[in-house]
Amino acid sequence: MSTPPLIQLIDVSKVYHLESGDFTALDHVSLEINENEFVAIMGPSGSGKSTMMNQLGILDVPSTGKLIIDGRDVAGMSSLERTHMRRDIIGYIFQKFYLIPLLSAYENVEYPLILKYKRRDASGKARAMLEAVGIDQDMSHHRPNQLSGGQQQRVAVARALVNDPKILLCDEPTGNLDRKTGFQIMEILCGLHRDGKTVIIVTHDPVISEYAHRVIRLEDGRVVES
Amino acid sequence: MSDIFFELSLRSVKLNFLRSLLASIGIVIGVVAISSMGMLGTNMQLSVKDQLSANVNTIMLTSDVVKIGTGVNASSTSIDQSELNDIKSAAGQNEVVPIHHTSSQFTIGDTNGRGTIYGLDPTDVPKFLTIAEGENVRGSDALVGATIASNFNLVPGSTIKIGANCATITRPVLRVAGILAARGIAADGVNVDNGMVVDDTWYTNHFGNLNEYDQVNVILQDVDTINQTEATIDAKVNRNADIIRISDASSRLSTITSTLGTITTFIMAIGGISLVVAAVSIFNVMMMSVKERVQEIGILLSIGTEKGEVRRMFLYEAIILGLIGAVVGGICSFVIGYSVVNAMIGTTSYFFRPESLIYIPYGMVIGVVVCVVSGLYPAWMASNMDPIDALRSE
Repeated sequence: MSTPPLIQLIDVSKVYHLESGDFTALDHVSLEINENEFVAIMGPSGSGKSTMMNQLGILDVPSTGKLIIDGRDVAGMSSLERTHMRRDIIGYIFQKFYLIPLLSAYENVEYPLILKYKRRDASGKARAMLEAVGIDQDMSHHRPNQLSGGQQQRVAVARALVNDPKILLCDEPTGNLDRKTGFQIMEILCGLHRDGKTVIIVTHDPVISEYAHRVIRLEDGRVVES
Repeated sequence: MSDIFFELSLRSVKLNFLRSLLASIGIVIGVVAISSMGMLGTNMQLSVKDQLSANVNTIMLTSDVVKIGTGVNASSTSIDQSELNDIKSAAGQNEVVPIHHTSSQFTIGDTNGRGTIYGLDPTDVPKFLTIAEGENVRGSDALVGATIASNFNLVPGSTIKIGANCATITRPVLRVAGILAARGIAADGVNVDNGMVVDDTWYTNHFGNLNEYDQVNVILQDVDTINQTEATIDAKVNRNADIIRISDASSRLSTITSTLGTITTFIMAIGGISLVVAAVSIFNVMMMSVKERVQEIGILLSIGTEKGEVRRMFLYEAIILGLIGAVVGGICSFVIGYSVVNAMIGTTSYFFRPESLIYIPYGMVIGVVVCVVSGLYPAWMASNMDPIDALRSE
């Protein structure tokens, strides 16, 4: 018997109730993503990419349909359970890096460990993770606003990885970087995929999607290619 | 530093240092208002208590009814000889001091005055009065109170004419034998500072009322027997009807201290109004902090921070503001409280008593609690944000 898919969307719809009327961002979407896949989710703006990203990242729940991640139905979980899923199963990499401005690079990477183990990190894991993405000890004491975009995204990658998540969810990870730095970040992500992570990239950049082994194309909230 | 959320709060306060400081000044003012008012009231209570507690071992007996009789003194409100004998037998080993008193005009030199004249058996005088200068009364001598003595520059040997200044009548003259020590508010009802004490024989010769006493004091050897002695006297003298009113300094003391306590609470409540203003400014600063950090809150929530942890972070911020205010306020309270007490009461001898200084920690705790309460809603608001909306905000 084959292993069940890591992520499973069964007839998922997401409807936003706006003053101008109901807006269907995802329209009866069904798809499966298996462990260790490298997937790009593509589509023009307004196609439902961000909504899809929020669903996969357990930041939101479907209006109808079933979303099963790592064998658990997201809709049936409490807010606290979803928070713990986000903390333990998923690593987020955002276009705008979203590092915590008041914490140093090192503390930003240490932060998810503190969330999980409720104490400061003594294992050296945060330090090792920073070194793995090419941030040296000197730089790790800097606050995010003292780092370049590329450096910030490296720190963000280290933060996403430090709790050893099964899924890496990347929202336009190179969107705010120059081509060379973007390339370096993509190299890191490819390496992580080789190490067994499931990597999902939301992007509208065809060059980035070429790294992926599978492209899921969205249009008007529907899957047109999978 | 162990708690990352405390660290985040501390850094946020440091980042907006001036704003945080200004908000804390409100708390400083509130803490100072509450503690110094509390200390002032307590110092007042302590000083009154000390003045009164000198006579707490005294039971005061006064007549409670108007007796109807015949003759010149057809009616009177006094304790008669048979009642006095009852009191003496009920009082046992304790000292019984019968007292006459009346208010009278007098003239010293060319100046007229009015005061209370007490008629006492000279042997009773040392039992509860202190002669500061001169000696005890004998014959037509008088002991004058400290206030009269200083107002009229009286010394032993001075003379006082008693009665209304009327040209047709020769008025009796008293010679000052001694001057009494100041008593302040006397809890035993003998307020001699503005009066004088004369020999009881002289008193009854001039004012009448032989064997009719205005007041009888029982001075206890052991203050702890006060209730029991009062009960015994009551059973004896009031066996048929309530004719003697029995009171003691401790009940007067408790009335006065409870009144002062109420006043203290009232002025502290007025001081507390400034804390309400402070609460509003802390609330405002906390709301600003939440609004400014919406995106940061979005990051924290999206990468798996629990709502409770976000709440805790903002409550820490409120506690830090409160602690700054409370510590500075505590120090200021000490200095300002000392000055206020010194200026209003004239002495700081009670200032360092624990029951006075306790208002500093009280005020500080109230200051911190006010901050935490003000921070509750902003913290709740932060923790209940939708992470997607929060991340999207710029």
